[in-house]
Amino acid sequence: MKKIIFIIFTLVLLNGYFSLKAQTLKSDDQCYLCHEQLGGVADLFKKDIHFQKGISCAGCHGGNSKSDDMLEAMSKASGYLGVPKGDDISLRCANCHAKKEMMQKYGSHLPTNQLELLKASVHGKLSTTGKEKIVQCTTCHNAHGIVSVKSPASPVYPLNVPNTCGKCHSNAKFMQTYNPKIAVDQVAKYRTSVHGMLNAKGDPKPAECASCHGSHGIRAVADTKSQVYALNIPETCSTCHSDAQYMAGYKIPTDQFAKYTRSVHGKQLLEKHDISAPACNSCHGNHGATPPEVASVSKVCGTCHALNADLFSSSPHKQAFDKAKLPECETCHSNHEIMPATKAMLGVSKEAVCSKCHTETKSTKGYFVAQKMRNYVDSLDVSEVLALKLINEAEQKGMEISEAKFKMRDVHQAKLEARTMVHSFNEEKFKEVVVGKGLSVSKAAVTESQAAIADYFFRRYGLVLSILITSLLALTLYMYIKKIEEKQASKL
Amino acid sequence: MKKIVKSFYDYLDERLHLDDLVHFMGKKYVPIHSHSVWYYFGGVSLFFFIVQVSTGILLLFYYKAGPDLAFESIQYIMSKVQFGWLIRSIHGWAANLFILSAVIHMFSVYFEKAYRKPRELTWISGMLLLFLGMGFGFSGYLLPWNELSFFATKVGSDIAGAVPIIGEPIKILMRGGLDVTGATLSRLFGFHVALFPGIFTIVLGIHLILIQRQGISEPRRIAKLDQKEKKTMPFFPNFMLRDLLLWLVMLNLLAILAVFFPAELGHKADAFGSAPAGIKPEWYFLFMFQSLKYFPAHILFIEGEVLGILLFGAAFALWMIVPFWDRKSSRGERNKLINYLGMAAIMFIIVLTILGWIA
Repeated sequence: MKKIIFIIFTLVLLNGYFSLKAQTLKSDDQCYLCHEQLGGVADLFKKDIHFQKGISCAGCHGGNSKSDDMLEAMSKASGYLGVPKGDDISLRCANCHAKKEMMQKYGSHLPTNQLELLKASVHGKLSTTGKEKIVQCTTCHNAHGIVSVKSPASPVYPLNVPNTCGKCHSNAKFMQTYNPKIAVDQVAKYRTSVHGMLNAKGDPKPAECASCHGSHGIRAVADTKSQVYALNIPETCSTCHSDAQYMAGYKIPTDQFAKYTRSVHGKQLLEKHDISAPACNSCHGNHGATPPEVASVSKVCGTCHALNADLFSSSPHKQAFDKAKLPECETCHSNHEIMPATKAMLGVSKEAVCSKCHTETKSTKGYFVAQKMRNYVDSLDVSEVLALKLINEAEQKGMEISEAKFKMRDVHQAKLEARTMVHSFNEEKFKEVVVGKGLSVSKAAVTESQAAIADYFFRRYGLVLSILITSLLALTLYMYIKKIEEKQASKL
Repeated sequence: MKKIVKSFYDYLDERLHLDDLVHFMGKKYVPIHSHSVWYYFGGVSLFFFIVQVSTGILLLFYYKAGPDLAFESIQYIMSKVQFGWLIRSIHGWAANLFILSAVIHMFSVYFEKAYRKPRELTWISGMLLLFLGMGFGFSGYLLPWNELSFFATKVGSDIAGAVPIIGEPIKILMRGGLDVTGATLSRLFGFHVALFPGIFTIVLGIHLILIQRQGISEPRRIAKLDQKEKKTMPFFPNFMLRDLLLWLVMLNLLAILAVFFPAELGHKADAFGSAPAGIKPEWYFLFMFQSLKYFPAHILFIEGEVLGILLFGAAFALWMIVPFWDRKSSRGERNKLINYLGMAAIMFIIVLTILGWIA
């Protein structure tokens, strides 16, 4: 009870203070006194944070706010500027908001680079009229009723941001004047996302438009400096999702980013800068970000790994996984920390994922199929290593071995195909690829390179023999010449 | 055995009068002196030419000219055809050794002044054979249609094209168009296996007839000696058998080179690919190629490269007509200038070749 009385007392005091302050301002500000009679903007301005900080209408419109003579107060000589238009609007705001000392004068600690950021943003660069840029400060913050960002009444308060942005971004007619191809369903999708649903419930913490795109410095998605450029997305999402303190209460892990950076996808994107590699939004969606459900995991992965998904869907595992309510791809490959799929995953060893379900005593058919499939792959690997060693040796010996070398591309191709075909979990099909396309070619390459090496030695032995024969012939000839010359000498 | 050979000889003699030829050859003598060894290089060059013809014909059985087939057919020769690698490697090595022995032969003739009257035509025909040998080398180089040969032909024909007035038509004639294409390959193949061998055979025939007709040249100091003081050996059978002995040694050398350093194939030519780094012509063109690099871009009103080509052209022309301006040697007098010029030429070729090799 005491607490409630204290709060009411405090509110009464604060109201009295602001009323007094407004009264004080009223008495000095002739602009406000006149415009108050007219209603409209003055009523709005009364709630404006600038008004409450003691900033007069003249702060933006110029003129002499102390003069009660309208003509004098709104004369050019008094510095009256009138209603700012186009890019002038943001410049007027920047008169104070870009000056640190001015902001400090009013006790504000807001950053002073908003205009700079706005100018570099997509909103501050594009224009349809050629006279003014798309967005001015007032487009999002309003003109006369500007309140603190932290106030729920502000159009840029987190709960209001989606609708504020949606005013333009959900307006197809307006948006197509800038980009006819741009989507206008972002807000609608956002409302279906976990972020959007929590936002609609009044939780200001989940991400809204500005959380990912930024506020003043919004850049096009294709701009490498954009927070939502493919390479930057994991970092952007992790701003919240890796912050255990911030995420407390939502009951989801906060190690996704750490796991992703170790994953094959993360390395491809973050280390090799391959923007075709999936980032968070590739699986979770962007505006409609939602975790894929058990049934949709394979569809999500299948958008890139189409063949694997098709093979899996028609495999016996599909039914078994559905029955056991196991997420399809994730069961073997995990989700955020997906590692390169090596042959270690296949087979019946401890490391093999097959052995999670198939043992010598449980699901035995799968156990023996997995064992055989692994044996095929191992045989191909052994044969490939041998073939490459022999090809290298033959090449080092200067033998022409390009055909066998070329064949090894087929072996590599077979290994790639095997990585896909394994998702059929069909021994015959798998054998056709690994043995039929890979092992047979690898063995042929081994035979060819062995023949080349044998030929290398044959050439040397042949050389020795031919040199012996030729030398013997030369020696005989030499002896014959000697004999003739001796005969000729004796005749002389 | 002797009886069979004799009856076969008699059979031929009865019809062809071989006795006259044997009698003629038996009367031919080769001078013996401290520099007699140089006489053998003419025969060695002939041996390499015979090897080239034999191996060239064998390669023709499998080689297919054309940008889509040339490289693959050589690959086939090197990997599938029985002893194909040996034939191609011997062809490659014998080509180089032919040029080397012909150059040695040419310089030995030059320093001994064997070109002097009455052997001016023998010298000129010999020089023509050397140039034709280089032509064989240039035209044969493109036939494998690999990266190196493609770009070397491009560079080589570009250099020929830099010659004022006649350069461009020569370049187009060589290339069969404006650029090195499949047409160039067909053309150079035609030169290599038909045109050049035809001309070479005629000039070689003239060269050999002239040698047989005029006999082996004696150096000036030997010629001056009294007939009794001169040492000689019969051309047949002594010199011919010694030649044959050397040919057997050369055959061994060829076999060793072919086995230990077989001809390479490289990568197939790609007109859109970039030229391989450090592209160089065959070693016997290297001194000219390297020299042209040292010429400044412009010398007075003329391009450095053009001037270089003209200078080389003039030097080769002067070299070729040396019997006509070296009157002293023809008169039997000593001409030191010729020796100095020859030594300067050898030094120039060796130094520039080494510089080109290590560049």
